[in-house]
Amino acid sequence: MRKYFVLVSIVLATVVIAYITTYLRALGPIGLDTRYLAKLFLMLTYNPVYRELTAMSPEAVTSIVWDFRGVDTLYETVVFYMAIIAALTIYRGVSYSSIWGGYGLSLIVRVVTKLLIPINIAIAVSIAAHGHLTPGGGFQAGAVLAVVSVLLAVTYSASSFIKLGVSLSKAVALRSAGLLAIALVVFTPIVFSALTGVQTYIMQNYVKIDSSFSFPTHVWNQLISGTLIWLNLAEFLAVSFGFFIIFMLLSLREEVVREQIGEKDEH
Amino acid sequence: MSTSFLENFFITLILYNLLVAAGISIYGVVARPSITKKIISLTILQDTFNILAIFLGFKVFSIPPVLLELDSDIEKLLAFTTSAVDPLPQALVLTAIVIGLAVNLFLIFLALQVFRLYRTLDSRKIKELKG
Repeated sequence: MRKYFVLVSIVLATVVIAYITTYLRALGPIGLDTRYLAKLFLMLTYNPVYRELTAMSPEAVTSIVWDFRGVDTLYETVVFYMAIIAALTIYRGVSYSSIWGGYGLSLIVRVVTKLLIPINIAIAVSIAAHGHLTPGGGFQAGAVLAVVSVLLAVTYSASSFIKLGVSLSKAVALRSAGLLAIALVVFTPIVFSALTGVQTYIMQNYVKIDSSFSFPTHVWNQLISGTLIWLNLAEFLAVSFGFFIIFMLLSLREEVVREQIGEKDEH
Repeated sequence: MSTSFLENFFITLILYNLLVAAGISIYGVVARPSITKKIISLTILQDTFNILAIFLGFKVFSIPPVLLELDSDIEKLLAFTTSAVDPLPQALVLTAIVIGLAVNLFLIFLALQVFRLYRTLDSRKIKELKG
């Protein structure tokens, strides 16, 4: 009874304070104009006139994520990498190959899943490859592909990973390949500078005021926005297999993990 | 273009609701003894602050920050800058979501390990146990 009283009073207080604040116009105008910085980003996201400042991508969020504030995203990728390293450390000594699960769910569910998985993969690749044109990108595509691992573990049981030939070490290798691809794109301008003597910047995408270096923005008349498509695809690989590792570890049976880690029941 | 009283009221209500949700989730993180509930509260707190950040870039009667025509017409670009929402909070929230996810994953695996060692996720009981 006391709990309900507290909840109802919180809701009522919120509504009344919101009404009073609106009546007195205490918060000033909300949501009527964007900040100057936002206008600058929107102006420069795809702007062939100001060539030295643009990211050459019509999607402003992706331009910010991988160009204007690219180093932020690089560190974010590192944080995600560290979290998966921590998970693997906790599960050290667990071998996936000795797991034998059940037969999964009913035939109907398994057939529907079999139809859904290719569609899921196609959508994920499409989101990653169009990240510089439409809302989406490497992380979103990786999260979509991660659903495949959950579907497999739930409908076909955890042993389906072994049957399909997906092992933890392969997933770690593919994920590391994604991270290496990101590093390759980030350091290419520096290597180019060392070879040719042209001034470049780390993680450079398009020409700058004192640098003529640029990644190709168009391939066969298709806009690829320089580094953005490559970074999106590499991030897609890294994130999707990162999630694969996580869901493979979480789908292991607890008794098997205890047995393999060798922890005794003391409590 | 201006907003009516009712529109302003609902926008303000959303803002206060987010603050209340943040308050409740902080209570959950601090006061609940179960580690699972602490993690759930933390995810609610993260999402609340993410929505708050999106709210800061919010603009009424706006379009998504995606250019639909690729040409160098400055007039069209200027029209786009005045009608699109702020893309910066969206980009920062995208980063925050990934970092939040990494933190959550780490906490979940730690909680799993705590359960393996102590056979409980009640922080009061864990405090009393030794070894």
